[in-house]
Amino acid sequence: MLVTARLRPPDRTVEVVDVRRVKDLLARLEVLPTTVLVIRDGALLTSEDELRDGDSVEVRFAISGGGGPPAGGRAGSGAGGA
Amino acid sequence: MAMRCKRCRDRAAIEIRRHNAAFCRDCFFHYVRQQVTRAIDKHHMLRPGDRVLVAVSGGKDSLALWDLLLELGHRAEGLYMGLGIGAYSERSKDLCQAFAAARGAKLVVYDLAEEQGYSIPEAAGRPRRAGARRSSCGVCGLSKRYVFNRVALEGGYDVVATGHNLDDEAAVLFANTLRWDIETMARQFPVLEATRPGLVKKVKPLYRVAERETAAYCVLKGIDYVVEECPLVAGNTQLRHKETLNQMEEASPGAKHNFLFGFIDRAAELLRSAEHAELTECARCGMVTQAPEDPDAVPVCAFCRSRERLLGARGRHADLPVVEAATR
Repeated sequence: MLVTARLRPPDRTVEVVDVRRVKDLLARLEVLPTTVLVIRDGALLTSEDELRDGDSVEVRFAISGGGGPPAGGRAGSGAGGA
Repeated sequence: MAMRCKRCRDRAAIEIRRHNAAFCRDCFFHYVRQQVTRAIDKHHMLRPGDRVLVAVSGGKDSLALWDLLLELGHRAEGLYMGLGIGAYSERSKDLCQAFAAARGAKLVVYDLAEEQGYSIPEAAGRPRRAGARRSSCGVCGLSKRYVFNRVALEGGYDVVATGHNLDDEAAVLFANTLRWDIETMARQFPVLEATRPGLVKKVKPLYRVAERETAAYCVLKGIDYVVEECPLVAGNTQLRHKETLNQMEEASPGAKHNFLFGFIDRAAELLRSAEHAELTECARCGMVTQAPEDPDAVPVCAFCRSRERLLGARGRHADLPVVEAATR
């Protein structure tokens, strides 16, 4: 099972395997669920929603004021456009 | 199992952990409108018929606010201030204009470089000197506060509304508390009345709404906003404070809400009653400013001092575009 996640800002894309639900994906990405929206086909997903093999989702940081999780560094710090 | 909406039991679109709730799209709109209405009513932010100037940046908060005020039937017009931050500012302006055009709403565009002779990147590029310690975010905030008040005053608006949300307010309160900056804390409130001529009332109708919720509102409403962050903001202090608060919120949902609302409901009044800042008029531009401690000193507001540092002697003519000022 493979899910493609586009994270922004800043814009980058990662592929994640073996994640069943949105909360599993966010845990794998080390992103705090309360700092992001997860969007699939224009619709919002909750942390309990199931992911499907081949899904493409956007993980959008909804916290304004800075630079998001550094590549390879601590994820979970939000960033976004005010 | 998929989450269900707390109100109608339909499939939920968003979970709000601090309220132990989840909502479908329509019930989420109801929830946000309810929070904004509660804020407006509780603090007497807007009267029927008030002309409201909404400060819009093209971001999620301010566009959500403008949309909500229009939906709630308020006479809300937008003010976009061009900061001169290259493609970021251009895109921000385009989105504000598109939003206004789609709703037939009026948007005032104010270009900082044209009107005041400097852009925010120029201000950020200036080396700091002793006594001139403002970051680019500091100059930007100062410029916005000044321009919003001035444009509202000159345009005959009753109220300036800004998109500060629960997270913004909690982060500012956190920063001020860490420093015990009582003077600044005494001025932090969802509404600031126009206490004297030259000041326009300021309101923050989104202070009960988390920023993840304003982003969700825009996504669900189809409001196109600037997702990219300001290129000058990386690593700023407020973001670091938000990260800290978000870690606390994750461990204890409602922590931010309780921190901010406790302050507003129980502490703000105590601090305000202890604060006796004397106000006067700036000798340069005539806007309201804090009176200097030395009674013989000429009062010059923070905006005019900052502008003079950026532009030198030509910055003393705060009223005039810099081209005119330079020919005097």
